[in-house]
Amino acid sequence: MPAAFSGKRPGRRLLLLCLSLSLSVGSPADPTMTPQDASQSQVNSLTKMQGGLNESTPEPTTTTRTANWQTQGSPSDHLTLGHNVSIPALLRPDLTTQEFKQAAKENVSNVTFVEYEVLLPGVSGTSVEKNITLDSAAGIELSCRLDNKYSHLKSLQVTWKRGNETIRHINKTENSWSIQLWILDNSKLGSYSCTLKGEEEISAVFLLQVPKIEGREKPIISYEGDTAVMICKSFGYTPIAWTWYMTNGSEQIAINDSLLADKYVINRISASVTHLKILKLTKEDDGVYWCEAAFELGKSKGKLQLKVLSLMVPLKPFLAIVAEVVILVTIVFLYEIYSKKKEKRAGDEKEFDQVEQLKSEESNGLENSSARHRRV
Amino acid sequence: PPANAGRAPGPPDGGWGWVVVFGAFISIGFAYAFPKGVAIFFKEIQDFFGTSYSEIAWVSSIMLATTYGAGPISSILVNRYGSRPVVIFGGLLCGIGMVSAAFCTSILQLYICVGFITGFGLALNLQPSVIIIGKYFLKRRPIANGLAMAGSPVMLCTLAPLNQFLFDNFGWRGSFLILGAILLNCCVAGALFRPIGAATASVKTQATAEGKDALKEKVTKDAMEMSSPVNIPMETKTEEEGGKDCCEKINQYLDFSLFKHRGFLIYLIGNVLMFLGFFAPIVFLAPYAKHIGIDEYSAAFLLSILAIVDMIARPTTGIIANSKWVRPRIQYFFSFSIAFNGACHLLCPLASGYTGLVVYSVFFGLAFGMVCAMLFETLMDLVGAARFTSAVGLVTIAECCTILLGPPIGGTLIDTFGDYKYMFIKCGAVMVLAGTFLFIMNYYNYRMLAKEEKERKAKEEDPKSVRTENEGRNNWNKEIVRDGPELEPLREEREGLKKEVNGT
Repeated sequence: MPAAFSGKRPGRRLLLLCLSLSLSVGSPADPTMTPQDASQSQVNSLTKMQGGLNESTPEPTTTTRTANWQTQGSPSDHLTLGHNVSIPALLRPDLTTQEFKQAAKENVSNVTFVEYEVLLPGVSGTSVEKNITLDSAAGIELSCRLDNKYSHLKSLQVTWKRGNETIRHINKTENSWSIQLWILDNSKLGSYSCTLKGEEEISAVFLLQVPKIEGREKPIISYEGDTAVMICKSFGYTPIAWTWYMTNGSEQIAINDSLLADKYVINRISASVTHLKILKLTKEDDGVYWCEAAFELGKSKGKLQLKVLSLMVPLKPFLAIVAEVVILVTIVFLYEIYSKKKEKRAGDEKEFDQVEQLKSEESNGLENSSARHRRV
Repeated sequence: PPANAGRAPGPPDGGWGWVVVFGAFISIGFAYAFPKGVAIFFKEIQDFFGTSYSEIAWVSSIMLATTYGAGPISSILVNRYGSRPVVIFGGLLCGIGMVSAAFCTSILQLYICVGFITGFGLALNLQPSVIIIGKYFLKRRPIANGLAMAGSPVMLCTLAPLNQFLFDNFGWRGSFLILGAILLNCCVAGALFRPIGAATASVKTQATAEGKDALKEKVTKDAMEMSSPVNIPMETKTEEEGGKDCCEKINQYLDFSLFKHRGFLIYLIGNVLMFLGFFAPIVFLAPYAKHIGIDEYSAAFLLSILAIVDMIARPTTGIIANSKWVRPRIQYFFSFSIAFNGACHLLCPLASGYTGLVVYSVFFGLAFGMVCAMLFETLMDLVGAARFTSAVGLVTIAECCTILLGPPIGGTLIDTFGDYKYMFIKCGAVMVLAGTFLFIMNYYNYRMLAKEEKERKAKEEDPKSVRTENEGRNNWNKEIVRDGPELEPLREEREGLKKEVNGT
C-alpha cells in the first residue's frame, strides 16, 4: 500500500518516505538495537535529513509552559523546557486516516510539541501524578525522568500505558523515557502512566483533561420578582461555546434563551466569560444550574446554585431591629424625664433650704423679691 | 461674689459623660467603619449591574466625600439645634438611605442612596459626637476622645464578618435592608446625647448655686433686653455694638473668624498635608502583600492585626495624652505620632517576607491609633470647646479633598513604577513632613501663647476691676451664645426667674 501511495507523490516526500520505510523495515532485524534506540535514531536521521532538505526548518527553540501541578508523593518534580520537534505526520503509523490528514494539515504550519516531564522518585510504591489541562488539539510529549543518582540501576524496563493499552514508540534518552502524543479529540484524553520496572516498581501518572470551569460554591441569593445574574468563567482558556442547563428533578434541561427571551438572557461578555440573566424570578427558579463550556477536546461543567427568597425573609430581622431601636430610644428618653424630675424635686427642696437660710441671714437686710415669690 | 459670677462652672468630666462617650463610640464607629464595611458587597453588585470595578468604587468614594464634605453643614446644624437632634436625624437619614438602596435598580440610584444620603447621615453622626465630648469633658477629655475614637476599629471588626454573614444569608438587597435597620441604632446613640451647656444643669452642686446667683443678678439688670432665648444672638449683637451685622450672623452658625486663629491655621495646614499619605497604605496593604507572594487569607489577616492593635492603641493613647506630663504639650505628642507613622511607611519597603509585614502592621496599627485618638483632641485643645463646633466642620471639608486624593495618587505611583515602594516612600515622606511642620509651628504657637498669657496677666493686675468684670461677663455671654441650644435647662430657669422679675 505505501508503494502505491508513494507513486502519487513526487519529489522530496518520496525520498523521505523511502528512507523512513527502509529504516523502519531494517530496525527489527538488527539484534543490537533496542526498539527505543531504533525510534530515536529514526528521529535523529529524520531531523538531519530535514535539515538538509527543508531549508525552512526552524532552529530548535525552547518553549516554556507553566502550569499548576498537583502532585502526590515526591516533591522533586520539575517542569522542563519543551522544544520544537517537527515530526512529519507521514511517519506516524498509529494515526488513522482522519487524524493523519488533520495532522498533516497542522504539520504545514509548524506544530510544536510541548513537553511535560516528571522526575521519578527513587522510592518504590509511591506514585507521582501530574495534571495537564488542554483545551484544543495539541501535540504533547510526556516524559518520565529518573534522577541521576539512580542511573546505576540496571535492567530497567519502562512501559507506557493508557489504561490497559500499552504504547510503543518510546523515545529514550540517557535517563528519560518519553512518548509523543497527538491529542486531537476527547478520546485521547485520560490518564497515561509510565512504569519503571527494575528491582522496584516506580510509576507516574499524567492526567490529561479539559479545563475546569468554576461555578460558585455559595448559593446566589435573590428575591421574587428580581433579576438574578449568574456568571461562569474559564480561566485562561477560550471555549468554543457555552451552554446553560437547569436541573429539573434529576434531569438537566438546556436553557434556550431565544425561546423564552423575556425570562432568560444569555450573554457572552468576553471569550471566557458567560452571563445568564434570569428575569422575573419565582420560587420555581430555585435550584441548581450548570454552565457547560465546550472545548475542542471535550466539555466541562460548572455548578451554581440559586436561592429565591420572598421579601418577608429579610423583613423579619429588619422589623425586629427597628423595634429594638424604638424601645431603646423610648427607654432613654423616659429615664431622662424621670431623672430630671428627680433632680428638680431635689433642687426644689434644696432651694427651699437655701432660701430659708438666706431669709434667716437677711432678716432685716436686703430683701430678695424673687426668693419670696419662689416660695409660691 | 462678683469675681466668681463671671466664670461658669466647668464640664462634669464624668457621670453621664461616660454614657455620652459610649454613644459617641457607636456613632463614630458607624461613621468611619461603614464605608469600608460595605465594600464586601461590591463584587456581587458589580456582577449584578454589569459595571466595572471603578464604577462601583465610586459608591465608597462618594460616601466618604459626603461624610467629610458635609462637615460644615453638620456644624451649622449643631450650632443651631444642638448635638442630639442632629444625630437622631442623621441616624434616620442613614436608615432611609440604606433601605431605599435595597430597592435600587441602577448604579446611579446606588450612588444617590448609599453614597449621598447615607454619607450625609453619617456626617450628621460624626461631627456632633465629637463635639459633645468637648462639652462633657475637660480634664479627662483625651481619655474620652481616645475611647470614643476606638469605636472605629471595633465597629470595623464587627461589621466585616456581620456583612459577610448577612450577604451569605440574604443577598445584597436583604443585607442593605437589615443594615438600614442597624444604622438606626445611631438614633439610640443620639438619644443619649443629653444637652449640656458651659454651665451644668445640675442643681446639686454649690457651684451651680453660685452660678444661679450670678444669673439672678444678671437677669435683674438685663431683664428688659432678654425677651426670648432665640433672640439671644440678636441681643448679644446689639450689646456688643459690633459693626458687621451679617458677618456676626454667619459667624453664629459657622465661625469663619477661625481663619484668623493661629492655632487653627497650623492644625489645618498640617492635617491637610498629613491626610495625603494617611489612608493610602491601608488601602494598598493587602494588595502589596499579595504582590510579594503572600496568600489572600494571610494578607487579610494583616489588616485584622492592624485593627486589633488600633483598638488597643486608641484608649491607651488617650490615657497617655491625659497624663500631666503630656497634656500641656499634647501638640508635640501629636506631631510625634504623625512623624512616627511616616517613619513606619518609609521603613516598610525594607520589610521582607510575612514576618516583616506583620511587624509593620503592628507598628502601623499603633501609629494609626495614636494619630486618630488625638485627631480631634488637639483641635479642641487649640481652639477651645466653644469654637470647636465650627472648627471641626471647616477642618473636615478641607481634609475631604486630600483624603480622596491620597489613595488614587498612591495607585498612580504604583501603576507608573510597577513597584509599591514608591507609594510607601511618598506616604512616609508626606507624613514626616507634616509631623515636622506641626512640631515646629506648635513650638512657635506655644511660645506666642505664653507671651499672650503674660500680657493678659499684666493687664488683669491693672486696678480696673469693673472693666474686667464686664469683660468677664461679656465673655460668658459669648460662650452662652455660642452654645445657645445647649443651655435648655438653664434657659428654663432663666425664663422662670425673668417671669418672676417681670411680675414684681
